[in-house]
Amino acid sequence: MTTLFELKNITKNYWESNEETSRSFLFANITATLQKPERIALLGKSGQGKSTLLRMLALLDTVDNGDVCFKGVSAKDTDTRIWRMNICYVAQQAVMLPGTIEDNLKTVSKLHNSTFDENFARELMKDVGLSDLDWGKQATDLSGGEKQRVSLVRSLLISPSILLLDEITASLDQQSKEYVEQLLVKFHLEKGTSFIWVTHDTEQAKKISERIWYMEDGTLAIDSKTEVFFENGNDFPSQVMI
Amino acid sequence: MSLLALSFTLLFVVITMLVSVWQKLDLEKEIAVGTIRSAIQLLAVGYVLQFVFKSENLLLIVLIVCVMIVVAARNTSRRANGMSGVIWRIILAIATMEILMMGLLLSLQIIEATPQYIIPISGMTIGNAMIACGLFLTQLKREIKSSRGEIETLLSLGATGRQAVQDVLKRSVKYSMIPTIDTMKTVGLVQLPGMMTGMIVAGADPVEAVRYQILIIFVFTSSSAITSMLLSILCYKKLFTKDLQLKNREE
Repeated sequence: MTTLFELKNITKNYWESNEETSRSFLFANITATLQKPERIALLGKSGQGKSTLLRMLALLDTVDNGDVCFKGVSAKDTDTRIWRMNICYVAQQAVMLPGTIEDNLKTVSKLHNSTFDENFARELMKDVGLSDLDWGKQATDLSGGEKQRVSLVRSLLISPSILLLDEITASLDQQSKEYVEQLLVKFHLEKGTSFIWVTHDTEQAKKISERIWYMEDGTLAIDSKTEVFFENGNDFPSQVMI
Repeated sequence: MSLLALSFTLLFVVITMLVSVWQKLDLEKEIAVGTIRSAIQLLAVGYVLQFVFKSENLLLIVLIVCVMIVVAARNTSRRANGMSGVIWRIILAIATMEILMMGLLLSLQIIEATPQYIIPISGMTIGNAMIACGLFLTQLKREIKSSRGEIETLLSLGATGRQAVQDVLKRSVKYSMIPTIDTMKTVGLVQLPGMMTGMIVAGADPVEAVRYQILIIFVFTSSSAITSMLLSILCYKKLFTKDLQLKNREE
C-alpha cells in the first residue's frame, strides 16, 4: 500500500548560526509518515519550528534538505499548485482577500475555473457557526474569529487530502473553537481528510488527535498515539508547552 | 537670454543653499553637485542637439533615444534593489512603449519625422515612463511587504504566481499613474506645463503651444499605462522562486 504522506529527513537551516542554541539548523532530519488518513496534533514549545515545518510541507518555505512525498510522489516531481491543492495550509493569522465574504468563498472556484458549490459552502458555514452571516458583507469587516472560520471554510472548499492547521483556533472563543474542532473531525471521518494541527492547547490535542508529533531541540522527539503520549507523563500544563 | 541673465539665476541656488545652512538640512553639497551637473548636462545636450538637428542623421536620432532609455532604466532600476535583472525588463518596457508611441505619432503624421520633434517628444515620454516605472517598483515593494499574507493565502489555495499577485500588480500600476492622471485633471488650472511655457516664451502662438501640450499629455498618460503594465508583466515572476514561493524581502 502506498504511504499517504511522508516526511523524509526534513531539515531547515537558520539564515545565520543561532547563538542561543549553537545549532546551524532550526530542526533536522524530521522523519514521519501518515500511512492512512490521520489526525495529528503537532506540539512543542515556541521557537521549535512547528509553523515553519507546516509552511515547508505546503511548499511555502524551502525544504533545505530532505524530501516530502504525497502518495509516493515527491514534492520535487509535483506541480506546486497541484501539491498545494492536495496539501493545504491554513495560517494562524487569517487573511481575508479584498471583497465580500462571498468573493472570499468563491476564491477557489475562480482560481481553478471550477463550479462554486454553494450548498456545500453554506453547509460548511453552518458547521462553523456562521450560518447567519450576510455573504454580501465586506470580509475585512469581520471579527478575528469570524475571519478565521471563513478562512477555514475557504480552504475546505478545495477538499484537500491533508490540512496543515497553524494554531487556527488560538483567537477563537470556546464555542467557536468547538465548532471548528467538530467540523474538522467530521470532515476527517466523512471525507478522509487528514490534518496536522499545530496547537499549544493540550486539552484540544487530546480531543482532536489520534497521534502526537512532539518537536524538541530541533528534532521530532516523540511520535506516538495520543493516549500513549499523555499516559507517559507528557500531560504538560499549557504553560510548559508555551 | 543673455549669459549674464542666465548667471543671475544662480541666485535661486544661493537662496536654497542659505535655507539649507539655516535649517541645518545638510543639503549644500548635493545642491552644489546638482547645480553643476544640471548646467553641464543641459549645455552638453544643447550642443549635441544642435549637431543632430543639423545632420538629420537617422542613426544618430536612434542612438540618442537608446541612450535616453538606458539612462532612464539605470536610474529606475535602483528603486528595485534586490530584484536581479530588472534593468533589462525596464529597458524592454520603455523601448516597447517608445516604439509604439513614436510609431503611432509618425504613421498618423501627428508630428513631423524630424529630429526637432522626435528627440524632445521622446525625451519627455521616456522621462515620464521612467517616473512611472520608479513609482511602480517602489509601490510594488511596499505592496509585497504589506500584502504578503494575501499573496501566500492565494498561493496556499493553489493560485499561480500571476493570480497571487494580480491585485498587488493592479494597485502598483494604478499608483504609478497617479501623477500623470492628476496632471491631466489640473493642467492649465494649477500648472502651466514646461513644454507649453517654453514654446510661449520662445514666441510661439499660445494656441499652437496648447495643441502640442495636449498631445504630450495624452501621450504621457498612454506611456505611463503601457510602461507600467508591461513592467508588471515582465517583473512579477522575479517575485517568486522557481518553486512558486514568494521570495523573502532580503533576497
